[in-house]
Amino acid sequence: MTSLTNAIDGQLPFLRRIFRRIFQREYFVYYALIAVVLFFSAVLADTAFFSLANFMNIIRQTTPITLMAIGMTFALAVGHIDLSVGSVVALSALVCALVLDITYWPIAVAAGLAVGILTGLVNSILTEWLRVSSLLVTLGTMGIVAGLARVLTNLESIPITNDTFTTIFGSGSFASISVMFVWTAIALIIGWIALSKTRFGAHLLAVGGNPSAARAFGINVIKVRMTAMIIAGTTASIAGLLYAGRLHGARYSLGEADLLTVIAAVAIGGTSLFGGRASVTGAVVGSWLMGIINNGLILWGFSTNEQIIARGLILIVAVAIGVKEDRK
Amino acid sequence: MPKPRTTRSLLATSLFIGLFSSASAGPLQDVDLTKAPVGPNGNPAVSASEITLSPDEIAQLKTQNYKAALVWHASGDWVNAVTAGAKSKFEELGIEVVATTDAQFDSARQASDVENVLALTPDIILTLVVDPVSGAATFQPAIDKGTKLVLLSNPISGYQANDQYTGIVTDDMYGMGSAAAEMMSDALGGKGSIGFIYHDADYFITNNRDNAFRSAIKEKHSGLEIVAEKGFTEEGQTFELTSAMVLQNPDISGIYVAWDVAAEGVIGALRAQGRQDIKVITHDLGQNNALDMIKGGSMYGTIADRPFEIGQAMASLGAYGLLGKESPAFSVVGFDKVVKENIAKTWEKSLHRPLPAKLEEALN
Repeated sequence: MTSLTNAIDGQLPFLRRIFRRIFQREYFVYYALIAVVLFFSAVLADTAFFSLANFMNIIRQTTPITLMAIGMTFALAVGHIDLSVGSVVALSALVCALVLDITYWPIAVAAGLAVGILTGLVNSILTEWLRVSSLLVTLGTMGIVAGLARVLTNLESIPITNDTFTTIFGSGSFASISVMFVWTAIALIIGWIALSKTRFGAHLLAVGGNPSAARAFGINVIKVRMTAMIIAGTTASIAGLLYAGRLHGARYSLGEADLLTVIAAVAIGGTSLFGGRASVTGAVVGSWLMGIINNGLILWGFSTNEQIIARGLILIVAVAIGVKEDRK
Repeated sequence: MPKPRTTRSLLATSLFIGLFSSASAGPLQDVDLTKAPVGPNGNPAVSASEITLSPDEIAQLKTQNYKAALVWHASGDWVNAVTAGAKSKFEELGIEVVATTDAQFDSARQASDVENVLALTPDIILTLVVDPVSGAATFQPAIDKGTKLVLLSNPISGYQANDQYTGIVTDDMYGMGSAAAEMMSDALGGKGSIGFIYHDADYFITNNRDNAFRSAIKEKHSGLEIVAEKGFTEEGQTFELTSAMVLQNPDISGIYVAWDVAAEGVIGALRAQGRQDIKVITHDLGQNNALDMIKGGSMYGTIADRPFEIGQAMASLGAYGLLGKESPAFSVVGFDKVVKENIAKTWEKSLHRPLPAKLEEALN
């Protein structure tokens, strides 16, 4: 008996460690995802919520947000933020649609991507050169890029008729699997490897956590920060191409309501809004969580206003847990 | 019609406030438009074609160097066409347009726009008021200065025609909703289940058109039944709503959606699900959906109003005010049922622009 008690006592720290490990902050989003899926599967048992077709719907709707969330994770990792992503979505899609009218699709794609790369470059140069917060710089470029998108076509939609482009960028599918799923998988793998398995990823977190220390270790802080902002711009432009491919057209209003959803997805996914802690898988799962909540509430028959309230409540609960950890 | 948009929240720190504030004003209003359309104060509707100016009146206006300002609620293709119509009429009348503003659906911004514009001392202001309640205070300084106010669609609380404003010009909302129901019946051969995707906000034009469609389906098309209803506040939501609607109601054969840009998400979702057998009916004209219609996709047809004519009628009503002429309180412009066969003609009629080259090419 005594030996059993001793054995349990001996195990307690180990069990506590296991418990702590299981319930630590970065895993929260995964539990939330499982809980939300189980919850909606139960209450929506009479609908097709838990079906491949519905999950593909969610992926189709969520992938542009997922891509932007991955890019935003890189920006937040170095302690920056990019508010211009929504505007980049629209301008990239419009530039790509206009170039598609006159030449081959790979050139149009390159033109669309150039919008994001250039915006990221300008954002980072201004942030480093003016030494002001990226929040303020990107607030400015958000307006400039959105204005350019409006001026470019005088607010008109541009239809896209190139089948190869639309198939690759959003509309295609292989045996019930949407091409959007492939885009998510590719972005997740590249983003995860870059952030978690490379020296560049370690540098990103070091710069975000303590720039002075990072500098002292010989890390080129400016170069790392600039690369992160360019990644954020590039993923936003890919999101723009995916919207254009999915809708077979581009419009100045694409992506304009996405910024808050992207930031929410990244924050829920465990990335710190103040740098130094980032998770690409968390951002992807965070975006899925947002998409599933949206989808579930619609299938449940909630009105638009009720959906907004329910979404807000769920988000507050989710983020409250994260913020609590940050304060420790 | 004017396209409502979400106000963009600028600061990341306002994340959750922003998520809450995107809520719209309220549910779909039950407006009784089963009778002939009437204005907000019970004024009978007259055709905008009855608003005319004699050569003498035009000559009189030309000698006065009058100025006008266009204080819009938003911007977009539709507003551009209204502006073009107003400018063409003002030019004909020798009235200079000194300012054009876009409140981006923000009533506070519209109040600032009015204050700024008044510095240019316009004699006429054409506007679509964002908030009919606060609009009373917003436009009072203009009225105090003797500026003639002409309203597009939305009334202003407590204001009377030929007093605070000259008149209201708008779409024939009841007619458009009924025509959309007729078109749905044509598309489905008079029989079938319908999905109804409406604008879930307190908005005069869209509420009336949506309700008119619903009433007409119920009262005039017994073979059609609305089996699923979903509301949206942002155009971008319709992709998700349609995906869910079709998943839950695979037997629907037609979808009505409140306006063209919102229909883009519906068409996209149907395409993604391989359900292009489901026919879509909407209001207004847009290139993307027009192309889908020409190519035989889900888009069956649309009901297009005539924004250019609205602009012209508003400009003329402003002139009525300056001349001290009694104005019709509530004027409506016509509309057209647009299908593949007549799109070239109706596009030009509605927007006063030739059919875009890409659509022309697809037609030939």
